[in-house]
Amino acid sequence: MDTPLREPTFLILTALAREPMHGYAIIGEVAALSDGRLSLRPGTLYGALDRLTDAGLVELDREETVDGRLRRYYRLSPTGDATLAAETERLRRNVEAATARLRARSVQPLAPRTAGGLA
Amino acid sequence: MSTLERRYRHLLRAYPMDYRHDRGDEIVGTYLDLADPRRRWPSVADAADLVRGGLRQRLRAAGANDLAPGVRLAALLALTTAAFLAGFWALVEQYPPPAEAGVPVFGPFTSTGIVAWLAWLVVAVLVLVAPGRATRVAVAGAVLATVAVLLVSPVAGLPRPPLLVLVPQVALGVLALAVDSHLPLPARALPIVAAVGGYVFGHAYYWDAYRWSAEQVLPATGMVLLGVGVLLAVGLAMRRDWRGGWAVVVLLTPIGLLSVHILAGAVDGLGGAPRPTYPTLVGAALTVGLLGPAVLPAAVALRRRLGGSPSAPCPTCGTRR
Repeated sequence: MDTPLREPTFLILTALAREPMHGYAIIGEVAALSDGRLSLRPGTLYGALDRLTDAGLVELDREETVDGRLRRYYRLSPTGDATLAAETERLRRNVEAATARLRARSVQPLAPRTAGGLA
Repeated sequence: MSTLERRYRHLLRAYPMDYRHDRGDEIVGTYLDLADPRRRWPSVADAADLVRGGLRQRLRAAGANDLAPGVRLAALLALTTAAFLAGFWALVEQYPPPAEAGVPVFGPFTSTGIVAWLAWLVVAVLVLVAPGRATRVAVAGAVLATVAVLLVSPVAGLPRPPLLVLVPQVALGVLALAVDSHLPLPARALPIVAAVGGYVFGHAYYWDAYRWSAEQVLPATGMVLLGVGVLLAVGLAMRRDWRGGWAVVVLLTPIGLLSVHILAGAVDGLGGAPRPTYPTLVGAALTVGLLGPAVLPAAVALRRRLGGSPSAPCPTCGTRR
């Protein structure tokens, strides 16, 4: 699986980090994690789950039938866990770097540049 | 089974049969969980999602996961080529034949083609500053403008560029509709650089009316596009990335249409007749237009035959097919 992860992939793995989930629950969790910005549809979700399974990041946990409907639960594999942790660390460092730059700028206002340098 | 479920299952036929058997209940169950209980028909977005998912799964089953990225790569190359040609033809449009020649013109321009070329130049700017939906809408508008120039001009009695020029532009435009929404800045700059390059290229050399220029410029552009595609394919394949190969396969139709004058010449007289007849040109264009798109499913089938494993288990549920 190519890194950096795309946002839907990152959020699906994040959703599964807490506990194994079925497709409907993953869709709800991804919507909550993204503050409603990302609304996955089942065709897209199951395609993503197939790719994540192919890449060894997600595994089948168990199957249940609820109200006559088949539900498969998915969980993070150890590789998926490590990939999510590495990606989160990468994003955290980026956020820290950006935050430090922005904080420094707000403390020390930008001075206008002088043309021609020192005389 | 409710009416809604039956309709979702009908749409599920977009998926391969064995995948439907393994995953159909789960997918339809999730759609039903999400749907309003009073709903009787799947929404348009759900229908599009199912068809897209089914197509993606068919490609995956054929071992052609990299086809979609390949099409997106081809779309960028097609858009860049279309922008180059638009820049070039925009220059040709600025030099209409003198009034004493008695050749009909379109206001201060050579023909109605200026409408299409301006639409393409707008696309080249938009892909740089507003990638995504705005660009795709503009590409669709440019394709429609090109088709309108082709169809409406003869009816209105106005001069238009020859079919030799307009047909490959439409083919490039249709492919450009698949352009990626998340291109890095250097890639987004390619179309506008190509458009300016086309205009400068036209200025640097002497170019005459559409017909003569088209016979010189279009096959050369097609060859350059093929060369760039092959180089990319080889370079990416060295990293075990097969996008470039699919891009070349997808680009064969517009490349063939750009080179239709050469192909028709080869039919009219071995070695390439300098002036292929009009019926031969039309016949060659129709052959390329029909055979070119057929190469893609043939390549997918070949990939499945070479790399497919019919007994492979479903990656998610583990069921053997």
